[in-house]
Amino acid sequence: MTLNPLPLNLSRFGGCTITGALSVTTQVRDAITIIHGPKGCAHHNFSLLHATALDNDRISLPDLISTGLSESDIIFGGEGALRQTLEGAVRQNSGAIFVLSTCIVDTIGDDVAAVCHGNLGIPVIPIPSSGFLGGTFHNGVNNALNAIADTAEPCEKGPYVNIIGEKNLEYEVEENYAEVRRLLGALGIPVNVRFLRHSSIRDISRLGAARLNILRDSEVRTVGERLQYRFDTPFIPSFPVGFAGTIRFIQEVADSIGVKSARAVREEKSLQDEILAEFEDIAGSSVTFDPPGMTSDSLSVAREIAGHFDITIDHDGCMVPLQVSPPIGTNGIRHLLHRWRRSLHA
Amino acid sequence: MPECENPLWPCAMSGAAACLAGFEGVTVVIHGSSGCYYYPATLLHAPLKGTFILENEVIFGSEQRLCEVLEELNGDNKKIAVVMTCVPAILGEDIRSMLRDYDVILVDSPGFSGDIETGYQKALSALAPSVDPGTLGINIDGACLFDPYSNGNVREITRLLGHASVPVGTIFCSDRLERAGHAAACTVGTNEDFASGVGTWLGSTLGLEEIKTTFNRIGALFPESDPGPVLEEIDHEDERIVRACDKFLRRFDPPHTVIFSGFSYATFAAYTLKHYLDADIQYIGSRNEPGATSFHVGHVQGFSEVKELIRHYNPDLIIGSSFERSVDPKRAFIGLTPPVRGTIRLAPHAVAGISGSLSFVEDVLNACMDLRK
Repeated sequence: MTLNPLPLNLSRFGGCTITGALSVTTQVRDAITIIHGPKGCAHHNFSLLHATALDNDRISLPDLISTGLSESDIIFGGEGALRQTLEGAVRQNSGAIFVLSTCIVDTIGDDVAAVCHGNLGIPVIPIPSSGFLGGTFHNGVNNALNAIADTAEPCEKGPYVNIIGEKNLEYEVEENYAEVRRLLGALGIPVNVRFLRHSSIRDISRLGAARLNILRDSEVRTVGERLQYRFDTPFIPSFPVGFAGTIRFIQEVADSIGVKSARAVREEKSLQDEILAEFEDIAGSSVTFDPPGMTSDSLSVAREIAGHFDITIDHDGCMVPLQVSPPIGTNGIRHLLHRWRRSLHA
Repeated sequence: MPECENPLWPCAMSGAAACLAGFEGVTVVIHGSSGCYYYPATLLHAPLKGTFILENEVIFGSEQRLCEVLEELNGDNKKIAVVMTCVPAILGEDIRSMLRDYDVILVDSPGFSGDIETGYQKALSALAPSVDPGTLGINIDGACLFDPYSNGNVREITRLLGHASVPVGTIFCSDRLERAGHAAACTVGTNEDFASGVGTWLGSTLGLEEIKTTFNRIGALFPESDPGPVLEEIDHEDERIVRACDKFLRRFDPPHTVIFSGFSYATFAAYTLKHYLDADIQYIGSRNEPGATSFHVGHVQGFSEVKELIRHYNPDLIIGSSFERSVDPKRAFIGLTPPVRGTIRLAPHAVAGISGSLSFVEDVLNACMDLRK
């Protein structure tokens, strides 16, 4: 069947490009996002962002402005409506304005970039995001990150790292960041910019100051490559995944920044041993996973965990949960093990 | 249509999907991109299908993709309804001709054609509902899947009609598809923003006074009915509400209130608060085009207007959606308007009927008293 969304054909079912772009632009605290299209596109996303923000215990809502295209705008062109909306947005004294295109404006041929070009007194950044015409959710994320990165200029580097491409709609987004920050803290390395989460235009201007970029995962690899090209900043392609992967992550970060990792590695291995002891009661179990929708990283972490506990993976085993994205770091595995134990003891 | 900051109400396409997906025996196909599909699919919690068209189908035509999807759906013995989204609607394709070999309902309700009510009405018209003189009972309308209270409303009005010994005709739009063409001759409403227009209108069921009027009318028109038990229940519950509100007013001032909702629910809330609590209804921000009312009302479409109105009126009590709640979580708040996120609701709550009035007043009193603790 191809009528329901399956994760197997991402080009058709990969979600809305605008949603991806908005998941980035709405994280810039002092910027406004204009969605050039009918009101419905803005409402759908406003409502979605509201829901995910509440899931993350945040009640503030992003500033989205719709150009509110009507049937006559569709017939005669929507550039006038965009121009008018831009003029109004400029008066709100924000740090920048992001302009997102929708399917319909690309279909009718509005030249969004041309309307945004001109001296309006503040940066106006068009982001290609015309729904399915522009690709998928992930294209929206990458387009937004790349467009915003282009606003920063090279600057003097220091012993910091940037966090690149956090999944802002992910339920565990803050917990994942906290885990990475804990590991960096063990090495004494501060975070320079979360690109992009809870950031400001000023934060973004310091993007080139880090010695290393840590990507959330391979879906933002093109952003990592672009930042490497622009600022000569190397990158680690993913947050730490799995026990062994976490140890490797600590070593790679330390090597990149030029600090010693032996103590941090020793402490992390000790924590991992504690976790293995804490969940000893599930050793020797038989489990099965529900693979559709899971990434290969998720499955490989699950297999690694199973290996540590001599857990057999068998079709007739107890169904235990996996996450679409793999758990991050050592503490991510601890959370997952609690869920496994709940299933095994249910 | 002017620019709008953070639009608060869904588009016509979502409205069409909400109408059609309420009918058993209909498979709704959203003809458009995955982005257009996901929103109604998550909003309505209904098993929608989609064509998930891509760029090449926009350039070379979407007929093949649409037919491929329809072929896959053939054989499940359901009527297929195709809902058009913005891009397919402007491609200039003759979709009706494309679909001539299929038994489908086509609803042309792209998002830019209006708000949710527009799409809902277009879809309902496409179903061509009609009265069947042989069908007994009274229809219930206003049951829109978009409304989190619609299930509770239908249960409550079904209960009340049962008490009055009146069978339920067709429920618009939450029924089997074939019943849309065999509606009863008369209709009562639960939410007039989504009225069907089918049959003779007997009245609303929002608020005890309205219910009393409507059931008196039912008693007069249907000799075999007995509205007595319903009228007795209204009197009994009215007395309980008066007692609870009177007790509240012995200690507290009536709440200064702003209301943001569809016009129908908003006026129900305003009349109820004025009647029982002598509340000061400072403003009604209607999500849709407002009708006539003695209250101060405006058509509020964007979140910036909401924030400005709340700042201006500084109310004790806000009635609206979780958008409004986010403006100032410290104020007393009642969720009456979708979306009501951040609150878990499993039981079917009603706004209509006697239970609806009881729940509403109960929520208001508790919210206002909690704030003063």
